[in-house]
Amino acid sequence: MKILLIEDEPELRKSIKQYLHQEGYVVESAADFIKASEKAGVYDYDCVLVDITLPKGSGLDIVKQLKDNGSKAGIIIISARNSSSDKIKGLDLGADDYLAKPFDLAELNSRIKALIRRRNFDGNKSIVVNEITIIPEQRQVSVKGETVMLTAKEYDLLMFFISNKNRVVSKNTIAEHLWGDDSDQMDSHDFIYVHLRNLRKKLMDKGCADYVQTIYGIGYNFKVE
Amino acid sequence: MKLISKTLIYYLLVSLPLLVVAGLLSYFLIKAELRDGTDETLLSEKVNAEKLIRSLKTSNTIYLSSDSLSNIKLSSGSLLNPDFNDTLIFDQEENENIGARMLKSHYTFNGNIYQITLVKSTMDEEELLEGILATFTLVIGFLIVSFVIVNWLLSKTLWKPFYSTLLQLNKYEIKNHEHHHFNPENTIEFNQLNDALNKMMDKIYSDFIQQKEFTENASHEMQTPLAVVKANLSLLMQSPNLKEDEMNRLQTIENTIKKLSSLNKALILLSKIENNQFNESDTISIKAIVSRITDNFAEVIQSKNINLDLNLSEDILVKMNPTLAEILITNILQNAIRHNNDNGKITIESKGNQLIISNTGMPLSIPEEQLFMRFKKNDASKESLGLGLAIVKSICKSNNINIGYSFQNSLHTFTLNF
Repeated sequence: MKILLIEDEPELRKSIKQYLHQEGYVVESAADFIKASEKAGVYDYDCVLVDITLPKGSGLDIVKQLKDNGSKAGIIIISARNSSSDKIKGLDLGADDYLAKPFDLAELNSRIKALIRRRNFDGNKSIVVNEITIIPEQRQVSVKGETVMLTAKEYDLLMFFISNKNRVVSKNTIAEHLWGDDSDQMDSHDFIYVHLRNLRKKLMDKGCADYVQTIYGIGYNFKVE
Repeated sequence: MKLISKTLIYYLLVSLPLLVVAGLLSYFLIKAELRDGTDETLLSEKVNAEKLIRSLKTSNTIYLSSDSLSNIKLSSGSLLNPDFNDTLIFDQEENENIGARMLKSHYTFNGNIYQITLVKSTMDEEELLEGILATFTLVIGFLIVSFVIVNWLLSKTLWKPFYSTLLQLNKYEIKNHEHHHFNPENTIEFNQLNDALNKMMDKIYSDFIQQKEFTENASHEMQTPLAVVKANLSLLMQSPNLKEDEMNRLQTIENTIKKLSSLNKALILLSKIENNQFNESDTISIKAIVSRITDNFAEVIQSKNINLDLNLSEDILVKMNPTLAEILITNILQNAIRHNNDNGKITIESKGNQLIISNTGMPLSIPEEQLFMRFKKNDASKESLGLGLAIVKSICKSNNINIGYSFQNSLHTFTLNF
């Protein structure tokens, strides 16, 4: 899986690269518009992460260039400007997703996975983690062949865990993933706990192992050996 | 006081005494002149009387007029210089005393001293004087009236550019700056005024733009460093063998970054609202928005065991930006939940064009008039940024929605007048 990361801030580039590298992706990066445009023109990528404000040009032009060249890469815009007009412009040009800074690496990871899943339509339609099988298109979850009925929030939570399996994800990150901007309100951590408790119970009722480890003080780790 | 009234008053203050003095002066001058005329006539009559004495050589009294006031008679007195006097005579026709001028003189002829008394009524002169005075008053009156008219016409024409500049200044709104321009005038002073105003307004506008761009850019610029911290924090969290104490610190850092980032987002939102960057509008159903948001908050409302009473039988349709409408109601509702008691109550009802949201809760710990100010918050709520209601106020202001707050019977009530 090859990813092109276009981001001018070196520290951010380094961190994203490291995180995605651990996920098993091959990550190439470009720090300005010209280099980005060259790389995007020459190589094929599965996914392109592009910042809008770049030295020497706009990330939106890279999106346009990719689309004009008929690239099949999934495109995620990462921008410091959380403006709806930039977002609409980017999506209109053919970008698949839009993530406003500061985002969490786990969130970025889950967006990339979702995007790649949608792209590989004809490939594998289900995600299998040991005894858990998920068919994302139908939002269907089964354990050892038996269907588990999950609420929307429980399903989202499970998908987020599986996208970031074997990683510590903080409660804040989970809250932001599940509730978006509304997560700012009060005791979202308590709600995560409620949803998680129900999810665990439903999975374990069907004979699933308990993969969710509580990391004291921070969050959870969906640990799959 | 209007400029025209002031000018008029100053003009009258100066001109009225002048006119009165001029009137009095001319009255006395004319009067003196007329008296001189009468005296001349009397003197020439005196010469005639002397001629008469010489020709008649009379020793009897001669009456020179029908009223027998003017006469010549023999006098035993000494020679006196001719003497003029003002006197009153009785006019039988008019049956009243009238003013008259009398000349007494003596004439010696053939050893006899004759006393010549000549009386001439000054009634005609007085009438003439009255006529002149009346004319004079009329002229003054006419002058004042014509001054008022001329002044009014002048202020209509000469001051017209000034009043149009004033009107434009009153209507000035910074968001319509491009449409405001003070046109050149052919009066030098007004032209200078308009020039100066144009320069000043442009300066203010460019400062304003810079200021607002600064707020927005500064907030945006902060997002990238925050992203760097957040990303590194995520990586740090993955390190194995973190001690409990270290994890707690990581959590604190993460919470702080989250707060900083929310603060930043809220400030950007505020500056965007104030800069009118949400300009697309649509017809919005308030009912739909309220039910969507209450659904979003269902879990929280349930967990606090809050009794939500929705009474939206009449929908309110508003033309405004959908995002802003959503933020507006979210913020008020979020507030109503956050500052509610456990087992409290929230009521949302619509009345005509009014949306009324009330909730139970402790009385405000800040003065009511600071409720909508930035960074003013009830100290009890650490979660709050203190910007939610500032954003609400800002949205209301930019969309001409009237918002009111009251606290009665331990119920906080927000009333939105769409």
